[in-house]
Amino acid sequence: MSSKSDILAALGSGALKPHPLPQVEIAPRLDDLVGQFEASVKAVGGTLIRDNALAALQQQVASLVADGQQVISQVADVRGNRATPEDPHALRDINYAVIQGELAVAENGAVWVTEQGAGIRIAPFICENLLLVVRAEQLVANMHEALKRVNLENVGYGTFISGPSKTADIEQALVIGAHGACTLTVYLL
Amino acid sequence: MKIALFIPCLVNQLMPQVAIATLELLEKLGHQVILPQGQTCCGQPMTNSGCFNEARSTVLKLLNAFKGVDCDAIVCPAASCLVAAKENFHEFDNSAEAQAVLNKLYELTEFLHDIAPVGEFKRPLAYKVSMQMSCHGLRMLTLAKATESMTPEYNKLEALLNKVPNIEVVYPEPHDECCGFGGTFAMDEGAVSAKMGKDKATAHANTGARYVVGYDPSCLMHLDGMIRRLKLPIETRHLAQILNDAI
Amino acid sequence: MATTTTANHAEKAEIFCRDESRVDWHSKALWLLRQKRDRAASSLPEWEQLRELGSQYKLHTLSHLGQYLEQFEANCLKQGIQVHWAKDGAEHNRIVHEILAKHQVKKLVKSKSMLTEECHLNPYLEQHGIEVIDTDLGERIIQLNKQPPSHIVVPAIHLKKEEVGELFHEKIGTEKGASDPTYLTRAARQHLREQFLSADAAMTGVNMAIADQGAIVVCTNEGNADMGGNLPGLTLHSMGIDKMVPNMEAASVLLRTLARNAIGQPITTYSSFYHGPKPGGEMHIIIVDNGRTKALQDELLAESLKCIRCGGCINTCPVYRRSGGYSYNYFIPGPIGIAVGAQQDDTNTTAWACTLCGSCTYVCPTKVPLDKIIAYQRRLKAEQGKLPYGKERYMPIVGKVMGSATVFNCAMSVARFSLRHLPHAMLKPFSGAWGKYRELPKAPKTSFDTWYKQNRSK
Repeated sequence: MSSKSDILAALGSGALKPHPLPQVEIAPRLDDLVGQFEASVKAVGGTLIRDNALAALQQQVASLVADGQQVISQVADVRGNRATPEDPHALRDINYAVIQGELAVAENGAVWVTEQGAGIRIAPFICENLLLVVRAEQLVANMHEALKRVNLENVGYGTFISGPSKTADIEQALVIGAHGACTLTVYLL
Repeated sequence: MKIALFIPCLVNQLMPQVAIATLELLEKLGHQVILPQGQTCCGQPMTNSGCFNEARSTVLKLLNAFKGVDCDAIVCPAASCLVAAKENFHEFDNSAEAQAVLNKLYELTEFLHDIAPVGEFKRPLAYKVSMQMSCHGLRMLTLAKATESMTPEYNKLEALLNKVPNIEVVYPEPHDECCGFGGTFAMDEGAVSAKMGKDKATAHANTGARYVVGYDPSCLMHLDGMIRRLKLPIETRHLAQILNDAI
Repeated sequence: MATTTTANHAEKAEIFCRDESRVDWHSKALWLLRQKRDRAASSLPEWEQLRELGSQYKLHTLSHLGQYLEQFEANCLKQGIQVHWAKDGAEHNRIVHEILAKHQVKKLVKSKSMLTEECHLNPYLEQHGIEVIDTDLGERIIQLNKQPPSHIVVPAIHLKKEEVGELFHEKIGTEKGASDPTYLTRAARQHLREQFLSADAAMTGVNMAIADQGAIVVCTNEGNADMGGNLPGLTLHSMGIDKMVPNMEAASVLLRTLARNAIGQPITTYSSFYHGPKPGGEMHIIIVDNGRTKALQDELLAESLKCIRCGGCINTCPVYRRSGGYSYNYFIPGPIGIAVGAQQDDTNTTAWACTLCGSCTYVCPTKVPLDKIIAYQRRLKAEQGKLPYGKERYMPIVGKVMGSATVFNCAMSVARFSLRHLPHAMLKPFSGAWGKYRELPKAPKTSFDTWYKQNRSK
């Protein structure tokens, strides 16, 4: 406890005069949210499916399963061929994960995924390919609007996912597919 | 207007042509121009090195040269020295007299653009000039929008040059990267400074302009040394020299 | 002045500059990031407003930091997160080791954390028999290459792809001569996948800690923090006290500027909110001071703690791009490295590795007045009598010559003054290095003073 009290005591004599808590007063850009979102998803290396999205997803997953791909689905009405394990390591061979997102952000193509939606925290990362489902009415303009709606009350873990994993650590050359999913498809219902 | 010239040491000793052009230009524009005696240096070589004690007497000497001088404005054709003078006057003297001097201090570009705006110039100059957007004038005196800023575009140097018939204004790429002078930096960090100077001088020459034009003599002197070493087909000119030719 | 065997900034920079084509390559790679940043920033009409908000949120938090740290801790505890406090790097390392030892951890996967660099955690844990695997691709490259990071966001920016190819061939068995970035990245993915799956614990840095939630935010593009953090049961997160923000609204501001300013992306691929241990697991947060409360005792240095480590100032810095990340004698290079590390530089030169051009200050997403802090660091060094490059000898001379001559004396003796004193005193800055790289100024016949007397004085 002593380091804590040392730190707090030292903070008591800080030189900064008290600054007031600011507030964000930025008008969200509301024109053509779906169009903005689609452009953002594309810009970050993902794909957006917006026409008959649920049927397209069901068809896609059915054909993947028929091909023998390992698919875990956490979305009702979409049937994969793998159950949610207790040990996350058991998902090491997953090819596709289908996960329900709770919120989508037009300005950056991000989709908010919680541990409840993912079923198990590792699911959106350990899969080779990630299929995210999000409802059009859950699309917001920007991060201010998004974080107003995020409620962490019963959420131990949640993540905004914007595109497939990527890196540019070798000579600034962009490579899609670092440690997380190598492809990302967003189905907008 | 009655104008007192602030001619920093570098301009006085090594680039008198810039001071002469400033004087002549202001006179031709109808101002009465005086040169208060006793000016040496703004103290920047010392204060930029952290040596405030060593700067004190120099700064106060410069400040005293302007205290009580009967004028409407104090104008300086060297942006970096002007910024340093402003900061250093404030550092060493908080009197009302010092504040009166501070209130009248202007860099030449801002004076011609904001304080006593000039009209169109008469004589056409049919050549290309490459803008030297030196750092202290750009970011501390805000003579133009810096490329880092996402505010509306403006550029007082370009606005003034655009009043000269036929002149063509171009920019080096990148637009406003530092030339590497940095006062004593040019000596302390010779290799990096020289590489920055080389890149900047080359970028100016690549525009095909006849002159590099700027508001900061120290950067122009640095670029001139670089241009002559590299034998690049371009020369440096101060804004005052161009406008004095055009009037 | 203290003598030291470490090369000073100018010496290291001079060596870096000898290979000019490499300097050009390095400078261009970083300038590309600046250009991407400019495009991303300009796409938001509210960009400058976001910078101001970022600054205000940080100033507010830093000026109420004790209160927010306590609120944060209380909320973490409610979530079942264990919170530890460390006053310095040594205590931080000790805490981390104790937790790992208790769980008999043999292998730790770690995502990027400049704080653990600052605390020298890796060598400490390795000495205690724990294998540490850095999982960010750039960090893994330099870990395999036994080098420190040369940049805080792109730590292997100094290496060419051929050099990475050679390294990977030797260390992880890629094909000899292969240097395609996609091929090398895929190989690293496979190599690190095995490390993730066999790790006993994971550790991450922290981008933001949200006081009223008891949550931390970790941002990566690669997904390495989340691959690590969501596999083993035990996770640790190290944060400086400066990572605190009051609420989600503040986080929303920084999440809009961080990646745009760093690399020109609208947001990092993953912005993850860790708000409690996974079922059956343990989550630890270590809150570290290590000199930050000291910086807060100074009104100007305190502003350096507004930094969110985007690296934007480093990318724009014309000196960094031409001197490289290893020239600064500190684990953080560039403007922010000077601002927070100059006092620890025994060569007393990094504070002068800057032209005070101010580009960094204009780029900064939280308006850290970097050029002012760097100038101030010089002043602090001068007050300690720690001046570099012979300044302690020549500065008093310059000061005396410029300041002592009387008005009349000065006016009348310009010629004599110039001939006798300038080459030694005033022209000191222009000798030596000046003439080595540039032509000396063309000396005019007279000074302006003299001209004025001849042409205007009546």
